Amino acid sequence: MAIVDQYLPILGMLVLGALFASASFVASSVLAPHRKPTESKLAPYECGIVPELESPPRFPVRFYLVAMIFVIFDIEIVFLYPFAVEFKALGGFGVVEIGLFSVVVFATLLFLVAEGALSWGPVKRLTKAMPSRTSDSTIARITPRPTDRAA
Amino acid sequence: MNTVAMPSVHYLVILPEIILTVAAVGLLIASSLVPGRLRSSVGTGVTVIASACVVVDCVFQWVDISRHGPSTTMAHVIIEDGFSVVAISVLAVSLGLSALVADGWLCRERIEGVELHVLVLASAAGAIMMAQANDLVVIFLGLEIMSIGLYVLAAFDRRSARSGEAAMKYFLLGGFSSAIFVYGIALVYGATGTTQLGQLAGFLSANVLRSQGLLLAGTALLLVGFAFKVAAVPFHVWSPDVYEGSPTPIVGFMAAIVKVGAFAAVLRVLASGLFTQQDGWRPMVFALAALSMLVGAGMATVQRNVKRMLAYSSISHAGFVLLALWAASPRGTAAALYYLATYALLVVGSFAVVTVVSADGHEDLTSYRGLARRRPLLACSFTVLLVAQAGVPFTTGFLAKLGVIESAVEHLGWPGVALGVIAMVATAVSGYFYLRVVVLTYAAPLDASPAAATASTLATSRPRARLAALGSGILVEDTRDGELVDHAEVYGAAPANGETAVPLATAVAIAVCVVPTVVLGVWAGPLVELTTRATMLFHP
Repeated sequence: MAIVDQYLPILGMLVLGALFASASFVASSVLAPHRKPTESKLAPYECGIVPELESPPRFPVRFYLVAMIFVIFDIEIVFLYPFAVEFKALGGFGVVEIGLFSVVVFATLLFLVAEGALSWGPVKRLTKAMPSRTSDSTIARITPRPTDRAA
Repeated sequence: MNTVAMPSVHYLVILPEIILTVAAVGLLIASSLVPGRLRSSVGTGVTVIASACVVVDCVFQWVDISRHGPSTTMAHVIIEDGFSVVAISVLAVSLGLSALVADGWLCRERIEGVELHVLVLASAAGAIMMAQANDLVVIFLGLEIMSIGLYVLAAFDRRSARSGEAAMKYFLLGGFSSAIFVYGIALVYGATGTTQLGQLAGFLSANVLRSQGLLLAGTALLLVGFAFKVAAVPFHVWSPDVYEGSPTPIVGFMAAIVKVGAFAAVLRVLASGLFTQQDGWRPMVFALAALSMLVGAGMATVQRNVKRMLAYSSISHAGFVLLALWAASPRGTAAALYYLATYALLVVGSFAVVTVVSADGHEDLTSYRGLARRRPLLACSFTVLLVAQAGVPFTTGFLAKLGVIESAVEHLGWPGVALGVIAMVATAVSGYFYLRVVVLTYAAPLDASPAAATASTLATSRPRARLAALGSGILVEDTRDGELVDHAEVYGAAPANGETAVPLATAVAIAVCVVPTVVLGVWAGPLVELTTRATMLFHP
């Protein structure tokens, strides 16, 4: 019985979440005005030439990259936070372990920077096999120089 | 102020993982900081050195175990025993050889960078973790570290749509099987209150469960997860597609690493943790073993693609190792370990040959016709590797098959005998499809025979026939020229006469696979003794 008590708040959260989601839907369907929009209202532009086709949408597909890069920092925080809470209890061993962990995480970040995954801006090309790349340029990429901004 | 009790760590035991991870992260950092792109040969060098270091560490571990006996470390979740040490050294050797094979492939495909080696190192670290895990959660961690690297590696050939498809299939089915595996862990934990194999065995021998259902279901789900990874029938459907689509050197690595890692873990879980529950899991393993052997061998006979054929053959091999697992005896464990050690070399070597021969993307069996004339040594190596996989005497493959069948038949009664008979039938069937390739290799090349016929007609026939023959001869020459042009166009690196060039690194790898197969097949003592002794040092 004790185990069930322990997990009761989680059940409560689940119920609350489900209630909130369904309540929002119900509320919006009840409260929203029920006017049917006219055909011209639904058109992309209300004046001018009537479009014959759906215009092809253009959007940069960099969001997935951002999401993946985010995971790196996310995972680091997941481990850093409990470490910070139990910092004193874990002692020197904990510091060394979390230091090693951070090195591994930052190595991946370094790799991303070197591959040009964080180079935002008009030039949307990964800098593969860039012969002029040096360790200086990899480090300099983090703080954009005026020349970079101009390009 | 409460202090967390830190478990003691025996660093010698986890040194293999440390070496491989440091090598992988070091390569990643180096490749980000050096100007231009790091050459892939650097990656190969680092990988081979790292795997050599792991083998050296294994020697030290072996000495340690011989002195002090098997032990556990890190709060009993990591184990150090003879079995794990031999499995780790097999994994390290496969890693080094695969890196050598991949080096030639990377040069040929003109892929720069060290990403492949970083992933291969990380995967191998996961497999090693599985081989020495003594806790279901650690086994799962190892499984995931190994698999995530392999999903990316399967998609490594970005210019090939088949490679992407293979990776997608492998990723989805692999993720699915991992989820099933985790659920199995949860159920076993629910039934026994522990995930650590030693405590699990202790709990199950000290207590009698009132209802077996939860534990049985957990065991079944764990087995399903493992069966997916080792591609045992009926959880094998992904394997031929993935083997066909993935880059060939990666397939050899995948086949060796996954099978050795997963079988090492499943042997430990079933033969050590759930030893008392034999009546529950042995029927399941019986079905998996029988089906894998028969379906693997049967389906391999009808394949036209050499990679698919080898995929089905490796399914059949998985059946043979399951046979030893079914035996659930020290002898069975020794036989399984011996089988895995020999199989890893054979499969890496076979796929190395396929990497070289199918350089032009023709993986059809007919492209092996006449290989013996073009490349006698390569054909001879391939013959040895295939014949050993078929289980012909004087190769390690024979002793491996003999070992597992013996360990099964040792159990008197119909199931052991039935499995033994099924294994014999599967061996006989597999003899057919391995030898078919061997015969094809030594058969006369198709395009040479008409030319030879033309020449002989020219010498003896009347003028008119001679003219016709001359015409056909020209045609033959034309088609051959056409083929050569194709070769030259697609593969600038290949020599102009259309022959397959064997890079030095690949040649070394193939030699390292072939020589022990014959030498240890004839001089059988050392490896058999090693595996038997390793099993005697199995942690209880």
